[in-house]
Amino acid sequence: MATDDRTDVLVIGAGAAGAAVAWRLARAGIGVACLEQGDWVDPRAYPHWRADWELHRHTDWSAEPNVRRLPQDYPVNDSASSISPLMYNAVGGSTIHWSAHFPRFRPSDFRVRSLDGVADDWPIDYATLEPFFDLNDRMMGVAGMTGDPAYPPKSPRQTPPIPLDTLGVTMARGFDRLGWHWWPSDSAILTRDYDGRRACVNCGPCDLGCPIGAKASTDVTYWPKALASGARLVTRARVREITLGPDGLADGAVYYDREGRVHEQKARAVVLAANGIGTPRLLLNSRSARFPDGLANRSGLVGRNLMFHPYAMVRGVFDRPLDGHRGPIGCSIIGQEFYETDLSRGFVRGYSFQVARGLSPIASASGGSVGDRVPWGREHRRAYDERFDRTITVAIIGEDLPEPGNRVDLDPALADSHGIPAPRVSYTLSENSRRMLDHGIARAREALEAAGAREVVFNPLLRAGGWHLMGTARMGRDPATSVIDAEGRCHDVPNLYIVDGSTMVTCAGVNPTSTIQAVALYIADGIIRRRA
Amino acid sequence: MTRGPLAERRDLLILVLDTLVPASAEFPGAGAVALDHVLAVAAADAALESLLSRGLKVVEEAARANGVSGFAQLSPDDRESVLRQVERSHSDLFEAFVRHTYDGYYGHPMVVTRLGLDPGPLHPRGHRIEAADLPDLARVTARGPIYRQA
Repeated sequence: MATDDRTDVLVIGAGAAGAAVAWRLARAGIGVACLEQGDWVDPRAYPHWRADWELHRHTDWSAEPNVRRLPQDYPVNDSASSISPLMYNAVGGSTIHWSAHFPRFRPSDFRVRSLDGVADDWPIDYATLEPFFDLNDRMMGVAGMTGDPAYPPKSPRQTPPIPLDTLGVTMARGFDRLGWHWWPSDSAILTRDYDGRRACVNCGPCDLGCPIGAKASTDVTYWPKALASGARLVTRARVREITLGPDGLADGAVYYDREGRVHEQKARAVVLAANGIGTPRLLLNSRSARFPDGLANRSGLVGRNLMFHPYAMVRGVFDRPLDGHRGPIGCSIIGQEFYETDLSRGFVRGYSFQVARGLSPIASASGGSVGDRVPWGREHRRAYDERFDRTITVAIIGEDLPEPGNRVDLDPALADSHGIPAPRVSYTLSENSRRMLDHGIARAREALEAAGAREVVFNPLLRAGGWHLMGTARMGRDPATSVIDAEGRCHDVPNLYIVDGSTMVTCAGVNPTSTIQAVALYIADGIIRRRA
Repeated sequence: MTRGPLAERRDLLILVLDTLVPASAEFPGAGAVALDHVLAVAAADAALESLLSRGLKVVEEAARANGVSGFAQLSPDDRESVLRQVERSHSDLFEAFVRHTYDGYYGHPMVVTRLGLDPGPLHPRGHRIEAADLPDLARVTARGPIYRQA
């Protein structure tokens, strides 16, 4: 086994959270080494440079590792889950694939037990995170508008909002007719050049990556700055286990390099940033005599309380072209009329509407996220032409509540290419979430019809919608009911930190990356303070 | 170059594809533009090649059950009827045909052009969106804060 130079802090995972922590620590003069199982993505490798770009969405650029099956991916047994986990393994992590919706959690999202009597409060609050939200916004670059009444006042956005275009304006009119809230999405996509990065050219499929760096994947935001500050990044380095010293503290990790050689990276502290599936997997694979049930798992909660954001997809068909092929695919406007709890609706907590762009040519035929493929045969041409560029899809993103039975554990048979046991995901949609989505489907139908849709179809639960992986090493004050404390330290191993979506106590009704990164920066600040 | 079992049935495959997406006034049939894609993805995936080859056999058998010597002897309307029988009896197999036919068809530059889009790579050109005024959100903001203090 080769032994690498000891470092102050070892970060495992170079995605949204790992990149933010690595930058923050390196800039403070702390030695940082990061192990990432994926590689850098060459900007010229993105499908956008090829005429057949759309064919790659369901093959080598799929968001599903079980479909993509690249050498750096690991398999996930999701046969017992109604939602498939999505992720990308590379420098930048899943920000390579994300649609860059960038809403923050709201103040009430951190106080769900106090306000609504469900789940648990976070041990930190919105006000504590606000400076880190702002810092993260500056690092990522956010397009948007201040003044949204759904949020406390925010600092100025870095660039103007992404264009609503014909499609967004059409949907906004629907919300206006109903008197409902809507706002241009906060999007981590530049509409003007910013911080050495180029503005978006509205090509469309952000979900396949961004070849010009207008979308804020952390390989183009945090990592160049982290490396310039002295951080060391090792790619194609797959961690097998986190190791403990005789004092019971984490002292590094054992990993396989790209040639399959085993290395040991020693460190004074370890930061886990491997996402809400990868982090519990690694902890559960790091068994020892001291932790026979997995590292930092005396509570038995590592891997439990898995939250996805369950998505329902509602699509309206209109009688006129909507220019939906242009502009960032996932973002135009957000609606939060039904976000806060109103028990008269039949469920607790709430959801957001996200208005996406239109369907590309192949997706129009296959039905996209609604899955209603165009009929084949004599009726095909007419049916296709009635749909292509005439649809608006409203996604309902609901707040999932933590439930111990929804979990990640280790599959007894499945393993990755290095023989490391693979994760197994068990997830059942709760009755509360089902009622919430059903309410959202009905309201989205109203909004689409108010916008002029002549036909509305929907998918009640998007299976390939597990973009957000949360809750599997939750934060809290009580070691019996949480895995990490309010500073991100594992209760059981105080120099082992967790900073990814695993930390989330609850998951709100919006995309989590802005909040995950703000929490990661907050935890990094604590590491810096304690070192000083 | 060795031809796979699917390529050996190329003529039949063209007829099936043309039945799935028939030619119309402005658009070609899938037999003309999706064939190469279907053959290519099958050649790259032995399991898919086997599945689609089996599918062609099922189509031929279903055609013969309709009293002709093969699918080619049927009228276009009868071909569609036969494929609908196969869709009902072998849905997984049939979905593979439809999916890859649609992929090949709507990924083809000729079809993309007829849809009114530029068929080439998305970059570096992107799409032009005319500059617009910022949206009028006076109605939305007039309600005041809608979030709960915590």
